[in-house]
Amino acid sequence: MDKPSKKEGVLYRTARGVAVVSGIFALILCVLLIANFLQTQSVDPLNSGALTRLMEELRGNPEDTALKEQIRALDLLARKAYFTRQWQIRTGSYLLFGFVLALILSLKYMSAFRSRLPDLRKGPGPDRTWEEKLLSRRSLIYTGLGLFVLALSAGALSRSDLRRIGRAEKPTVSADFASAEDMRKNWPAFRGPGGNGVAFSEKIPMEWNGETGENILWKIPVPMEGYNSPIVWDGRLFLSGADRNNQAVFCYNTENGELLWRADLDDIPGSPQERPRTTEDTGYAASTMATDGRRVFVIFATGDAAGLSMDGTRIWAKNLGLPQNHYGHSSSLIVFEDRLLIQYDQNTGGRLIALNTRSGEVIYDRPREVEISWASPILVDTGSRTELILNSNPSVVSYDPVSGTELWNIRCMMGEVAPSPAYADGMVFAVNDYARLVGIDLSGEPSIAWEVIDDLSEVSSPVASGGLVFMAASYGALSCLDAKTGDLLWIEDFDDGFYSSPILSGGNIYLMDMSGVTHIIKAAREFEVTARNPLGEKAVTIPAFMPGRIYIRGYKNLICIGSGGDGQP
Amino acid sequence: MGKRSSGNNRRESIHRRGPAAAGMLILFSLLLAAVLGYAQIQERFPKPDFQTDYTRPDLSTPLPRAQVWEYVDIAVLIAALVLASYFAHRLRSRRKIFWLMVFSLVYFGFIRQGCVCAVGAVQNVAYALFNTGYAIPLSVIAFFVLPLVFTLFYGRTFCAAVCPLGAAQDAVILKPVRLSSTTAGLLGMLPVIYLGLAVLFAATGTGFIICRYDPFIGFFRFGASFAMVLFGAAVLLLGTVVARPYCRFLCPLGVLLDWMSRLSKKHVKITPDTCSNCRLCEESCPFGAIHKPNPSAQSPDKQTELRRLAVLLVLLPVIMFGAGWAGSRLYVPLARQHPTVALSEEILLENGGKRAVMTDATRAFRASGKTADELFEEAGRIQQRFRTGGWLLGGFIGIVFVFKLIGLTILRRRPEYEIDAGACFSCGRCFSFCPYEQLRLGTITQKELEEMEREGKNGSGAGGTSPMENNQNG
Ligand code: SF4
Repeated sequence: MDKPSKKEGVLYRTARGVAVVSGIFALILCVLLIANFLQTQSVDPLNSGALTRLMEELRGNPEDTALKEQIRALDLLARKAYFTRQWQIRTGSYLLFGFVLALILSLKYMSAFRSRLPDLRKGPGPDRTWEEKLLSRRSLIYTGLGLFVLALSAGALSRSDLRRIGRAEKPTVSADFASAEDMRKNWPAFRGPGGNGVAFSEKIPMEWNGETGENILWKIPVPMEGYNSPIVWDGRLFLSGADRNNQAVFCYNTENGELLWRADLDDIPGSPQERPRTTEDTGYAASTMATDGRRVFVIFATGDAAGLSMDGTRIWAKNLGLPQNHYGHSSSLIVFEDRLLIQYDQNTGGRLIALNTRSGEVIYDRPREVEISWASPILVDTGSRTELILNSNPSVVSYDPVSGTELWNIRCMMGEVAPSPAYADGMVFAVNDYARLVGIDLSGEPSIAWEVIDDLSEVSSPVASGGLVFMAASYGALSCLDAKTGDLLWIEDFDDGFYSSPILSGGNIYLMDMSGVTHIIKAAREFEVTARNPLGEKAVTIPAFMPGRIYIRGYKNLICIGSGGDGQP
Repeated sequence: MGKRSSGNNRRESIHRRGPAAAGMLILFSLLLAAVLGYAQIQERFPKPDFQTDYTRPDLSTPLPRAQVWEYVDIAVLIAALVLASYFAHRLRSRRKIFWLMVFSLVYFGFIRQGCVCAVGAVQNVAYALFNTGYAIPLSVIAFFVLPLVFTLFYGRTFCAAVCPLGAAQDAVILKPVRLSSTTAGLLGMLPVIYLGLAVLFAATGTGFIICRYDPFIGFFRFGASFAMVLFGAAVLLLGTVVARPYCRFLCPLGVLLDWMSRLSKKHVKITPDTCSNCRLCEESCPFGAIHKPNPSAQSPDKQTELRRLAVLLVLLPVIMFGAGWAGSRLYVPLARQHPTVALSEEILLENGGKRAVMTDATRAFRASGKTADELFEEAGRIQQRFRTGGWLLGGFIGIVFVFKLIGLTILRRRPEYEIDAGACFSCGRCFSFCPYEQLRLGTITQKELEEMEREGKNGSGAGGTSPMENNQNG
């Protein structure tokens, strides 16, 4: 017993041998695993230059099957490499585990030989139980105090806006949208402020010629397809564009037409993998953008909607559900205070959606008992309240823009409704081809005051002012009616038809025909042409009116008109 | 003497050759590599991002684990608890406890992958108490209640041989150092705070933090996040020198087991015979759970002791209230851990224009059609629950704090070596250090025992006396 036991020595040496061997093997595995890890970190097979290049190529050439095959092969290779490495890591980890286990067991066995008996020669030493307790008590008290102070300071330093909500108080957010007055100074939506076709800016150019360059301040090519019209806010012009593969918003300096930014919106969550079918004359970006003076908003035929900051940063983006629309969604956006209002009428029924302009979250989403339509909403101040008025088949409907509650509903339309309504002096005017033009009197219980069934507009929206209503038919007739009675005051035929809508500015009607010629006519009971200004290219959009300027999106170019331009941008 | 020295020389020479330090260094690098390895396993490969004719198969949810396995788990748990208690109390066999511990590590750890687990079950119970809609599984109740009940009868035999987390740490103890009672006492507050937080987070539906931050689950499952594998590796590495660090200084269930064990009907003893204060067991416990005798400890007079005690008792409600108040002040950062509150704060940031880019969570929320006001309202309610919870959490920590202070104010005189029933894991390591135990086992003779006692009293015995050492089990 007292002699070194032979068996013990052998066992000890064996344990040591196992420890050394498993230690070495484990170390080797370690190095290999770390190397593997570093390698996996440094190479990103899916974002390899070759694959990205091929993907880029495919974007430009989506039908190239050979290219697709090549990408697939490369992708498969990358995946195989990845999974092989995964297998290596897993197997390596299991082996490592085994070796570490062997190492621990052998070290443990060896450690059992170590004495854990106290050195009795030293004697038990003085009894310090009480001193130790004293020290422990002190340190516990100090630690407790420290924790107390820490908790209090952490509590004091942490802020939460939710606290206010917790106390049943709404967070006080200062009005985060432009005033109605600022809206009037700009061109924030389709057909101007409120979407009503009236321009409030002054010194609007009366004469220009896109062919000669007279009064053309600048002219730049349209960056991407789209029938939407430009909107303008404080020196910035916004428009959107989309095709089968891309969706984007563009922002220009109104002074010189310089592109300030482009925001691509191809990766919106919920966006359909397949773009919906649209007709060529509608496309994927027919809806005009809108702004609240702080942000700009866009919607595409895919149902993708987004809010962007004035400098192009995406604030929110979401898909509203694929629009069931055989031509393509084209209703434009409009903003009331902090609500982005969307007329979302589809084959499967309509919806009126209000999104929070700051977040994109749904404030309300009201089902509408209507057929599909392509018209855009207008916002009018009737004196007693603000109403959101929508034209559709079979009804013209007014809503409270804040709550989405229906205010009134008049059944009078039919067919595929595209023209938006107009409002002036307590009367709403709504029209559709093959249906009627109605004058709805809002004094008292809203009701139809009169209706007209001739020379109706098909796409172009009417405009009303000073007791008159103007309506442009797509076959080229412009008619003027008495707003109170619906009596026809005059009707004139033009060489080209109208898709664009008449805009009222400073006592004149500006109406651009499909060839791009803008006719300026006195907004009066007698017909009188003031000017005839060619753009030099076809156009179907609505011009944007700013002080001293008009911005027109033609088929090919975005053109700025103003006095003094020589046409050489 | 001569013979004894020759025995010592042999050990010393073995020791010189024993590459313990080198072994530990290697172990460290290994753990690092394991971290890297396991962490990678968790990576996910993204889906292909071009369109093909391939239609993704529908999501299928695997069937729940057969009910019968739940009963099997409970049966294994009961059997393991019974055996652990039997081994510790009746057989007093460290070896058998050790092998039972290995079994538990394999079964509850690697086969059942650390789930269901008694430590985490605390949270299910807390959640079930505060959320009526939650039907708590039978096995979870069993895993929560049985260890506590067994501890109430037999001490922490659960910790000794049944808990896989304890077993994993016990297996790596190599060269344990003794922590000073002050350090151990301070660190002992951590599990109390952790338990309070875990119950608060579970009760408010925030999450099960014990499971989320279980350091060993990554090893049991061969895969976890990088940070968690790193944490696990660190705990195990630390465990080579500080025995069972998680059990002693983090385990929330340990707090409850500690209390139960103090009240336990029967608790293991170093020796069932009379202690002769031979000092041989003095350093046998790697967890510092053996109190030395202190017949001559100097303490102030009884009067002062009583006065201090009275002051503490009077202060108890004040400290409890103060700690509760401090806890309630923490409701904002605490509530922020709740997913709904975290989402609300992100939405608020975005809505206030303080952050321009959406996160995945806010994007998903905005696409869900739910309004922000609803979300904020819910988040506000949750914050209020945290305010109340903060009071309770602080109050709980305050009470434990005062009782710890009381424990440090009273001086209990111990005539002989004694086990600290709260801290002892009933691992059985110390048993074989007692010469009476060896006498009972027949490994030494009465004569040898008497000789040893004589030497011990003279203070002439050297570290490592021959008949004792060969009978110890690490
Ligand atoms: S049984 Fe002995 S060695 Fe084990 S924990 Fe308890 S006191 Fe320590």
